[in-house]
Amino acid sequence: MSSPTHRQASVRRVVALARANALLMARNRLTLVYAVVVPLLPLGLLLAQDLSDPAAGAGALITSLVLVLLFPVYYNLLSVVVTRRDELVLKRLRTGETRDVELVVALALPGAVLAVLISLLTAGIGIAFGLPLPVNALLFLVAVVAGIVMIAALALWTAAWTRNAEAAQLTSGPVLFLMILGQTAVAYPDPVREFFTWTPGTAIVSLVRTGWFGLEPVTGDALSQEATLGFASSWAQAGQPLLVLGAWTAVALWLAARSMRWEPRT
Amino acid sequence: MTTTTPPPAVRIEGLRRRYGSGSSGFEAVRGVDLDVTAGTITALLGTNGAGKTSTLEVVEGLAPATEGRVEVLGLDPVADRGAVRRRTAVLLQTSGFSGDLTVRETLAMWNATVTEARTVDEVMDLVGMRDRADVAVRALSGGERRRLDLACTLTTRAEVVLLDEPTTGLDPESRRQVWRVLEDLRADGVTVLLCTHYLEEAEVLADHVAILHEGRLVRVGTVAEITADAPSTIRFRHPEDAGLPDLPVLPGAGVTRHEETVTVLSDDVQRDLGTLLAWADEHALRLHRLEARAASLESVFLDIAADRTDRTTTDQHPTTEETR
Repeated sequence: MSSPTHRQASVRRVVALARANALLMARNRLTLVYAVVVPLLPLGLLLAQDLSDPAAGAGALITSLVLVLLFPVYYNLLSVVVTRRDELVLKRLRTGETRDVELVVALALPGAVLAVLISLLTAGIGIAFGLPLPVNALLFLVAVVAGIVMIAALALWTAAWTRNAEAAQLTSGPVLFLMILGQTAVAYPDPVREFFTWTPGTAIVSLVRTGWFGLEPVTGDALSQEATLGFASSWAQAGQPLLVLGAWTAVALWLAARSMRWEPRT
Repeated sequence: MTTTTPPPAVRIEGLRRRYGSGSSGFEAVRGVDLDVTAGTITALLGTNGAGKTSTLEVVEGLAPATEGRVEVLGLDPVADRGAVRRRTAVLLQTSGFSGDLTVRETLAMWNATVTEARTVDEVMDLVGMRDRADVAVRALSGGERRRLDLACTLTTRAEVVLLDEPTTGLDPESRRQVWRVLEDLRADGVTVLLCTHYLEEAEVLADHVAILHEGRLVRVGTVAEITADAPSTIRFRHPEDAGLPDLPVLPGAGVTRHEETVTVLSDDVQRDLGTLLAWADEHALRLHRLEARAASLESVFLDIAADRTDRTTTDQHPTTEETR
């Protein structure tokens, strides 16, 4: 069991490493553009919509959230882990007192914090420009936080079988596909959409629809675009997407822990 | 009153480390036993691929042993990783740093992860990098990066320091600076296990030397102990066309001739040198470039590296430079 002193030391290590990682992110212009500017682009889409229409608002907010998960978190972490693993930076850091889990958290933290801040900024600006207040803000927060944890774990898992930074363009394909499926789910016929409800992207879409706009989650049935759910009924409707997102998060964490590589293959 | 021997700071028992499995597998460490006495510097020597780094990685807790046991300060470096890491410091053979951080930022980050830490300024002074504090790591030379690496290692006020080729790539002045640091650590009671290719480094610094060859420990002891059984060398040149009379009887010595050079490997250099000089006087011979050398770590090492366990093939001794 860890004592308070050990916990303090652990927090100190994570903060120090995360601060250095944030500094590195800020000094790399391309990374910064992808991590900050790209996820903010859907704001333009959001402001151009008729925000009184729940379906239009949901579409823009979901696009923003997906980009927030993909760029500052997934691509950033994938690239950082692969590059620093190849440059033996991770191996060097592991020779010190820092525990593996602390090292991983510190790598993911700058992107995760950025993702939360951009999500909150997008939501705030959206509300200021006519987006309705969320029916169940907690569900939206769960979608953001669980989404970050899941996508970060998937980035670590992808890194395990990504030979170098160039290869990441290909190896990131499956996760990109899983996330984008959710956004396009509404456009598919009912039986196909039923299958998509088991993907993490669709679970996140459902949680935003239900939690923010009171819309039904994505199911195999015909989608209603009428906001009918209140706070209590949104919890009842969010059961399946919560379970799906939870399961994907658990599997992603398990895969990441099982496959994590700290130095290049010899 | 009885005196008790302090436990070794590092204990390696029957260590084996295998890479891969089946017929394509390779056993890099093949049953190594070694005790590293607390408060001393022990040099681990060996040719490339002898198993030095593979052994050290197990001691560092970075890789598991295939067989055998390793203890650092009485603890298992893998199972008790947290406790061991607080009391040890490691320098890898090769490692990397983020190029966009400065030297000071890198050391400050490292410092914040260490429980018992020297200050950033203190470690920069130890490795002579104070004037490079605000330079980005990517702008450092190879030698400066090595010193930064060492500075990170020295940030921990460790009881055991594990160094894999710490002075590789350093200029002679920086190398001697590192040697002074290591001597100071020993004076403070720190145990140092040092992998090196530089035999001079081992001779100057090490209280004990362990020589690995093809995954096995073939010599352990002080430099004096290791060289004690090795023969001294007497060497001279004699023009082939001048006609060399039969050499005198040199009991127990090995004699070889390679072109114009005659080499005698002797267990009693004073006796054999006297015999040779008397023989030269008797035949009015001039022994060109006559030299007599006590056994050195280098000669022992080179014999081991060349798998020479007898004294029959010492025709040529490559210099240390040639072996690097």
